[in-house]
Amino acid sequence: MRFAFRFRQGMKAAIPIWIAFVPSSIAWGIAAQAHGMRFAEIVLMSAWVYSGPAQFAVLGPLAEGKSSLQVLVAGFLMNLRFLPMSAALAPYFHGVNRLSLLFSSHVVSASSFIVPYLQFQKERLEASDSAFAKITDGYGNLAFFLGVGASSFLVWVVGSAFGYAVALGFPAGFEEALKFILPGYFAGLLVVEMRGWAMPVVCLTALLLAVPGASLSPGWGWLVTASLMAILVWGAEQWKCRASALS
Amino acid sequence: MSRIGIILIMGFMAFAVRALPQLIFVGRRFPESLDRLLRYLSYAFICSIVGVTLFMTGGKFELHLAPSRALALALTIAVAYITRSAVSGMLAGMLLVLTLSWLR
Repeated sequence: MRFAFRFRQGMKAAIPIWIAFVPSSIAWGIAAQAHGMRFAEIVLMSAWVYSGPAQFAVLGPLAEGKSSLQVLVAGFLMNLRFLPMSAALAPYFHGVNRLSLLFSSHVVSASSFIVPYLQFQKERLEASDSAFAKITDGYGNLAFFLGVGASSFLVWVVGSAFGYAVALGFPAGFEEALKFILPGYFAGLLVVEMRGWAMPVVCLTALLLAVPGASLSPGWGWLVTASLMAILVWGAEQWKCRASALS
Repeated sequence: MSRIGIILIMGFMAFAVRALPQLIFVGRRFPESLDRLLRYLSYAFICSIVGVTLFMTGGKFELHLAPSRALALALTIAVAYITRSAVSGMLAGMLLVLTLSWLR
């Protein structure tokens, strides 16, 4: 009973995510169809990989038949962001058996992480920290998380399939616009999430160096320049933090 | 390797990244600096992909299409920044690129 209540609570909290997922998933379905992917591949990727940015990211290289290692490395590195998100949620599932955690972890995404995480933190503040450890309802929290994650997952997969169908009805002459969906969506996502000085520097330098990098080495050039820029800016930020801590 | 094969492996890798922390790092916190590095790598890859997808086809720089696409990218950024919506930005850029392609 408690599980069902918390699940419904999670679903209610996920409504804004569904609204955001509908256009994004349809955009992904349209872009994937425009890049020559088949219906089964689109649905499989949405359901099994379930990672909007990574799905968009590997779409070009995948459609162009680039090296599978390159596609896998790019996808893996982009999905590494789930590592800290999943780790941050873990303490709230105290007492849940590992098999349930294994299955439920598939629906961890940026959106399905932040809504339950903020909710659990709010509930933690309402109880005192010492009392929290005693009252943490791992299964209740898991139900809330699944209410957010599983329903958002369903919206994403159905939206992708719908996007494929929509793309088939596009008249000729729209190729240029369809090609823009992928980079346009990425650019929009980045701008919305932009914070501090380091992120804009990483983004701008990676964007500017991508074409020269890819011209030098079509397969790995952009990947190398992007990694270098991220590591360089991260190093500079670390150095700045240490210098300010010492002074 | 077939596309289905690549998707399956990619999904396994994504699943491992999601599941392992819940099974291994229960109760522990990730170092802040490593968290930032992972974020920067993701954003750098996304930007690189934007550059390559937008300005190159088949490994060649498309000089004649670059100005209109760069303009659409600038509009996308501006609209997304003002509306705080990635989809609104994308739609604005898409409309501009479509209009410019019809005018050519």
